[in-house]
Amino acid sequence: MIGEEEMNVLILGANGELGPHVVRALEHRHQLRLTDINDLETQHEYFRADAADLDQVVAAAEGMDVIINLSVLRKDRRLAFDVNARGCYNMMTAAVEHGIRRVVNTGPFYVVAGPTYERFDHMIGPDVPHQPGTYLYALTKSLGQEICRVFTESHDIHVMDLLFYMLLDPETHNVESGSPIANVGHDLVPYTISWRDAAEAIRCALYVEMDKLPSRSEVFFVFPDLPHQKFSSEKARRLLGWEPKDQLDQFWKKAKL
Amino acid sequence: MKVLVTLASSHLSLEIASSLSGSHEVRLTDKNEVSTDLEIVRSDLGHGAPTNELVRGMNAIVHSGEIDPAASVSDQLDYQMRCTYNLLWSAAEEGVQRFIYLSSLRLMDGYDPDLAVTERWKPLPTTDVSVLCYHLGEMICREFARENKISVVILRLGEIESEKVAKTAISTSTLYMDDAVLAIEKALGADHSGWLDIYHIQSVVPNARYLTGQPWWSADDVSPSFNLGYEPRARS
Repeated sequence: MIGEEEMNVLILGANGELGPHVVRALEHRHQLRLTDINDLETQHEYFRADAADLDQVVAAAEGMDVIINLSVLRKDRRLAFDVNARGCYNMMTAAVEHGIRRVVNTGPFYVVAGPTYERFDHMIGPDVPHQPGTYLYALTKSLGQEICRVFTESHDIHVMDLLFYMLLDPETHNVESGSPIANVGHDLVPYTISWRDAAEAIRCALYVEMDKLPSRSEVFFVFPDLPHQKFSSEKARRLLGWEPKDQLDQFWKKAKL
Repeated sequence: MKVLVTLASSHLSLEIASSLSGSHEVRLTDKNEVSTDLEIVRSDLGHGAPTNELVRGMNAIVHSGEIDPAASVSDQLDYQMRCTYNLLWSAAEEGVQRFIYLSSLRLMDGYDPDLAVTERWKPLPTTDVSVLCYHLGEMICREFARENKISVVILRLGEIESEKVAKTAISTSTLYMDDAVLAIEKALGADHSGWLDIYHIQSVVPNARYLTGQPWWSADDVSPSFNLGYEPRARS
């Protein structure tokens, strides 16, 4: 880990669900520049910018040391390709333009492990060949990740792809029976993480010594040590130095009568 | 066969369509108006019923991964990713049997020319959008094939040349138009795996860079090996 010196950090898609948690994890030590497509009231510098607009993204990245990409669009075909795939091209072009060497990209686990893995296998790690399938969100995010990787092949930029899926606040999560995500004592999606642990993983990615990573494009599955062994998040702990605080065991242990 | 050929505004697509029209029922499409004697339907390959109508009744689609050099980088990426996805989705929904994606051997140019590069080697795309688009288009095709939504044949074409170019100027990955058309004819008619099949296509030229005609094999002893049957014309 490098020292926790102050950095200028651009957060794309800062007004989404994960954005406020990441801002809280970083704001005391770094200068933040937030962007999103809509208005946002914040004490930090804010640019209204569309991730799909090349010129806007390049302008927003000027003077930054790091880009964190939290932008996401799931359903509309045009917007999904615009934001999830072309948005990554724009972000990487901005990184090249401004000499930014550290990029943290985000997405869901099925950027890598779509149904052809998930339905069949266990101990699925983040370094398997990508099989996102044709699901719009998965494929567009996977295209974006591949665009990032191709850029790292010819530019001195490191991209850390942190992949999440279900996110929740374990203290307030709705525990009524029938929740598709998690129920106390009745199991949870075996790729679930608390908001604060997800934000902490992104914070850790800011301090990784990039030259010690195996390559300039690394993918991480990020979730706590769940007992299902469906996926493996060992790499995130080993290379990011990340330790989750919320094990979510109230969900995967049977409730005591 | 009924064959839809996209990107009618490109010289390659027009030549292919014109050649195929002698033995197939060909429909061209483009987002812009294009002057041709063949049937042409203007389409932006959007998400919706018009794209389904465009492909309905077709036996095969020949989709070009070329970019429009006059378009912006954003529009080039958008067309090759989103429109390819839309086209594949509509084709799968309408029961089109075969999707032939015209990619490029430029994806393999990162290898030393002395290496015996075949379809089994990993593509090495660059950030040059004209190359990157082929790679992203192949990725989208691959996922549709993986889910068995449609049979996909990817033809990685060499550098398209006309016979008129002086021999001293030709690329070692040259593909003459008649050989390109031959490969597409083969791709329309040959037996494939029915899954995803990739073929390298170039002409016979001095120091030809890429091997062609290699049978595709699987490591198991169950899957039959298969071959496109492409044999480029011998030239003196």
